[in-house]
Amino acid sequence: MSEYFSNIIYGVKSFLTGMKLTLDHFNNKKERVATLQYPHEKWPIPERNIGFDHAEYNLIRSRLHVDIDDCISCMQCEKFCPVDCIKIDFIKPPKDSDVDCGITSNDTQKKMIVSRFTIDMSECMYCNLCVFPCPEECIYMVGGPNAEKHEIDYEFSQYKRDGMIFEFADATDDMIRDAGGEKWLEQRDAKLKKNSEGVELMGIVPEATPVQVAAPVLETGTAAAKPVTAVKPLGGEFDIKSLNGIADKMCRGIAKKAFMAAKRAGKDTTAILADVAQALSDAGKMTEDIQSILDGLSAPSPEAVTPVVETEGATKAESVAEVPPTTEVKEFDIKDLNVIEDKMARGTAKKAFLAAKRSGEDKVEAVRKALGDAGKLDVAAEKLLNSFTSAAAEPSQPTAVEKTAEPTEEAAAESLAASEPAEDLPLFEIAELNGIDDKMTRGMAKKIYMAGKRADKSRTEVIADLRAGLTEAGKLDDATAAILNNLESGN
Amino acid sequence: MTSIVDSLVKSFSSFNLDIAVLLPVITLIGGTVIFLIMAVNALIAVYFERKISAFMQDRLGPMEVGIFGFKGGKKFWGGIGQTLADAIKLLVKEDILPNNADKFLMILAPFIIFTGAFLTFIGLPFAQNIVISDFNIGIFYIFAMSSIGVIGVILAGWSSNNKWSLYGSMRAAAQIISYEIPIGLSLLLVVLVAGSLHLGDIVQWQADHRWFIFHSPFTFLAFFIFYISTIAETNRTPFDIPEAESELVAGWMTEYSGFRWALFFLSEYANMLIVSIVASIVFLGGWLSPLQIFNIFPDSWLILDGPAIGLFWVLFKAVILIFIMMWFRWTFPRLRVDQLMYLCWKVFIPFALANLFLVSLWELIF
Repeated sequence: MSEYFSNIIYGVKSFLTGMKLTLDHFNNKKERVATLQYPHEKWPIPERNIGFDHAEYNLIRSRLHVDIDDCISCMQCEKFCPVDCIKIDFIKPPKDSDVDCGITSNDTQKKMIVSRFTIDMSECMYCNLCVFPCPEECIYMVGGPNAEKHEIDYEFSQYKRDGMIFEFADATDDMIRDAGGEKWLEQRDAKLKKNSEGVELMGIVPEATPVQVAAPVLETGTAAAKPVTAVKPLGGEFDIKSLNGIADKMCRGIAKKAFMAAKRAGKDTTAILADVAQALSDAGKMTEDIQSILDGLSAPSPEAVTPVVETEGATKAESVAEVPPTTEVKEFDIKDLNVIEDKMARGTAKKAFLAAKRSGEDKVEAVRKALGDAGKLDVAAEKLLNSFTSAAAEPSQPTAVEKTAEPTEEAAAESLAASEPAEDLPLFEIAELNGIDDKMTRGMAKKIYMAGKRADKSRTEVIADLRAGLTEAGKLDDATAAILNNLESGN
Repeated sequence: MTSIVDSLVKSFSSFNLDIAVLLPVITLIGGTVIFLIMAVNALIAVYFERKISAFMQDRLGPMEVGIFGFKGGKKFWGGIGQTLADAIKLLVKEDILPNNADKFLMILAPFIIFTGAFLTFIGLPFAQNIVISDFNIGIFYIFAMSSIGVIGVILAGWSSNNKWSLYGSMRAAAQIISYEIPIGLSLLLVVLVAGSLHLGDIVQWQADHRWFIFHSPFTFLAFFIFYISTIAETNRTPFDIPEAESELVAGWMTEYSGFRWALFFLSEYANMLIVSIVASIVFLGGWLSPLQIFNIFPDSWLILDGPAIGLFWVLFKAVILIFIMMWFRWTFPRLRVDQLMYLCWKVFIPFALANLFLVSLWELIF
């Protein structure tokens, strides 16, 4: 019986002890609550100390930041970025406009409006290479010695992957429009629309004229020559690449040579295939495998056209420099030669291009000849040139696509040649002058360049100005002269 | 003591309406009021339950959801919209009935439980004149109605055709029926002293003499027996063996979802409010101001009395009792089934019986 009562008393006691404990926690919640309201509160970052002086070493490479007010859109950081995660667009206000682009903190008068300055931090590899060339020191890694410029964000947390693309440009649409950037705005809006359509998962929007785009390729004369092949869009399915299926190196070489020869002679697909077969059997290399490949090529395969169309649609939007294998209407520009990988070959090609341009010849043929003479006419270059032989000169006309279906090589070349001489080389970038070693000379050259650019002078005129100006100042040494020569020849 | 129904009948009498027309109108008004009280009570109580549990466990509880962008306090009392959001979520959830369940009974069970809580409110005074209908056997009525719920619990457990549900409902039945005995004995003590089953009379007795909790050592003890037994009857921790989420998933509520589960939830919190109000009326002086516990203050101080202030005092006392219930819940671990039965049959019932006997002696002597 006493145990019964002592149990009850013990129960009541422990009951009160427990109640006291929880009440204590409830009352002292200010000290005791351990929850950290994460997105609103964050743990303090402990002091870093790994034995270096913070002021001397940029220890923390947290995130790239741009003080956009100081950016003069010199594009240096974009050029230096090894992973191309910086993208800069700028609008240069027309000469007579009174748009004030602002002054940097180094008292440099800005001449352009930065309409886009995006850094994709998901691509950035923190190499810091964009920081060094910046003339205004406006791009920097947050952290380390820059701690007072911008606070460090350690988390990098974003709700979407797109959030890792940071936009630093703060130019409003009105400012851009004032500076004459309507076209840029249009392009941007179109791109945004395309992106949002992709985000909304609307599926692939079918291209308006997919087949027409693919049609004008290698064998432009086929339609007239053979009614059988005219039905099939042969252009997309048979080019020199199709011969890559041949395993033996020697055989492949012979086949390709024959292919090129036949194509240059303007033969159609079946004739080319016959030529190739002939050449191979002449060389005694005709095997069953090769025969089957050639048979396969002569049989039509319309499906092969579609992928070409799609990739082309994408590349067209993306870049100008890259030449799609089945380029439609496109001007032959010296920049297009940049796709040639071999340095020597590129140089030769560009030289020939310029020479042809000056003399008003057919540039494609000239380049081809020069490359052939130098023994550098490889497959890629050949393909590139072929893409231009079929191209007509008017890029602006949408009907040009149909037109190119008929004209022969000569017709295309004629139209090319007719339109070319009017065009001069575009003015080179100011960055090209960075090759000049001496600081004074570089500065002077840049000044002259800017003056020439503002006066809308052509490339040759600007180079002449540079030569004259630098000679006058006695600064035209050999290296600088070589740079100018290079610029003149368009390299 | 006039009830809401009485005053409604009186105010409608000038329209010369037939009583058959008047009755549904008055029922509807009274029902709406009760339902609103239950819903608002659940909304507020759940929020505070979560907050109190969080603070006792050194957490913060809901902090993010607000109403129209207003989240409440920045430091501790944020997230005031959380219960509302949960209620909306419950209402739009899919209503699942298991294939082999007894569908009719399973649909019926939550409504029986809800009806038990709902009917109890009819006789429950919130202040001197704020009661839906004034029964002269008020405390008996409340005691009877709050026991209806156990039928729903057993039905819910049986009809779900789930062993966890059946275990849970069996435990609930055993527990609720057992603990009704100490509750009844404790209330009997009060009825014995006050000489009336009418809640208004009980409070009047306390106004004339003193609060029942201070009447004698035995009523003091009876209050704790009553209060702990009501916690057991509302199936709250540490007496939540019918739910016992670590043993029985959710006990008799396992197979319920959506609106039906919301009804269980609503009734549970309504029962909390009911027992707290009953305890505060019967033992803690009801709508009497705490300033006149021992009648030591002059009468001029008793301005804090009357119907409106009375409502405040009743709710104030009830809220404190509800807080203590939550405090219990987050302090003690769940009792074993045998411990639960030991506590009821071997501790509470002998003490309640002894109390009854000793209070009778006390009344004879003093």
